[in-house]
Amino acid sequence: MTDLTIPNDLWDDDSEGSIASWFFSDGDDVSKGDLVAEIMNEKVTNELLAPASGVLKILVAAEQPVSKGQVIAQIAG
Amino acid sequence: MSSPDTVEKTKSSATAPRQRRLTIARALNEAIHQEMTADASVVVLGEDLAKIGGVWSTTGGLLDAFGADRVRDTPISESGFIGAAVGMAAVGLRPIVELMFVDFFGVCMNAISSLAAKQRFFSGGQVKCPMVLMTSVGGGYSDGGQHSQCLYATFGHLPGLKVVIPSNAYDAKGMLRSAIRDDDPVVFMFHKGVHGLGWLGTVPRAATHVPEEEYYVPLGKAAVAREGTDLTFVGLGLTVHHAIDAANVLQKEGVSCEVIDLRSIAPLDRDTIRASVRKTGRLIAVDDDYMSYGVSGEVIASVCEDAGIALKATPRRLCFPDIPIPFSPALEPGLLPNGERLAALAREVLSEKRT
Repeated sequence: MTDLTIPNDLWDDDSEGSIASWFFSDGDDVSKGDLVAEIMNEKVTNELLAPASGVLKILVAAEQPVSKGQVIAQIAG
Repeated sequence: MSSPDTVEKTKSSATAPRQRRLTIARALNEAIHQEMTADASVVVLGEDLAKIGGVWSTTGGLLDAFGADRVRDTPISESGFIGAAVGMAAVGLRPIVELMFVDFFGVCMNAISSLAAKQRFFSGGQVKCPMVLMTSVGGGYSDGGQHSQCLYATFGHLPGLKVVIPSNAYDAKGMLRSAIRDDDPVVFMFHKGVHGLGWLGTVPRAATHVPEEEYYVPLGKAAVAREGTDLTFVGLGLTVHHAIDAANVLQKEGVSCEVIDLRSIAPLDRDTIRASVRKTGRLIAVDDDYMSYGVSGEVIASVCEDAGIALKATPRRLCFPDIPIPFSPALEPGLLPNGERLAALAREVLSEKRT
């Protein structure tokens, strides 16, 4: 099981961001390196890539607020 | 391209086509990448397209991939660079040029209407204009009356232009690839409400599976987004989603609605509209452009002009009223079409007693 975490250096300050889009659905197979989500902070969108291959379990729905360091999904290999 | 990741990906996609969801913004970006790779005559120019990658995120990565000769930032001078694109198209290039907001058409309409649209006619077919004018349309996010219009009809009214607007990412990619290969000028409108930029909000349904491989969606052909038997909604871009929302609500009330996604207003696929209303007998056109002289009126006329269609109720329309779009967040949402308002209008149509 690998966590998909919002990196601590994705943006500078400690403001909240939000999940702009999930590019896969809960339960989809993803491959390491796939673009799985876009995270938005202050009108800037950042890409999150899959850190591992496996089945995606989404923990935070699209359009919900997120913080740096937060685990937003898990990938079961 | 021989990293283990790439090899692994190729293998898994060879066995079963994986679902790969993209936003419209990303689908358009991929379409341009692929067409620029396939054809060296495709070039891109406009404001903030090269270094920034486009304020609508449609041209990211192109400068690095294809260089400054083919991907150009321009000054804020729409009449200049759109006029230049018409000239480029006349001498054999395939320019993609962006008008950042369709609302800004006023400063460059001569290049679009008098030059691009008429080139082929005035030259007796000797000079083509294979140019794509990409432009953003639509409001709903309090950007005021000069950044929120749709203006479908303003462009659809002019002979010589093809005018298209996708409602989802699959169509967006396939239609843009078709537009780039088309020998006529194509006004390619993308609606901010389905584009998939986080800061604007979007309709999640518009981000669909988009195959990486080559495919084309023909221009000028409407799609049946949902089949039904009691009433036909005809929409385009964002309003297709309002129609699907209304259809979902009405289904619970025992009403079966068909939803037509126009995809193109010039040419307009009247056959698909007529075939649907011939089946359902009821029509509502929904359009977030101004009401008068617009797409909705044209859709309704297309049905009324066909003597073979027996109507069960008077055709109706839901549009933006004929006033400038307010900035005020208290006013704008009450004027734009939405699924709820559409469902209410549908109930009126369904309860109409014809005399």
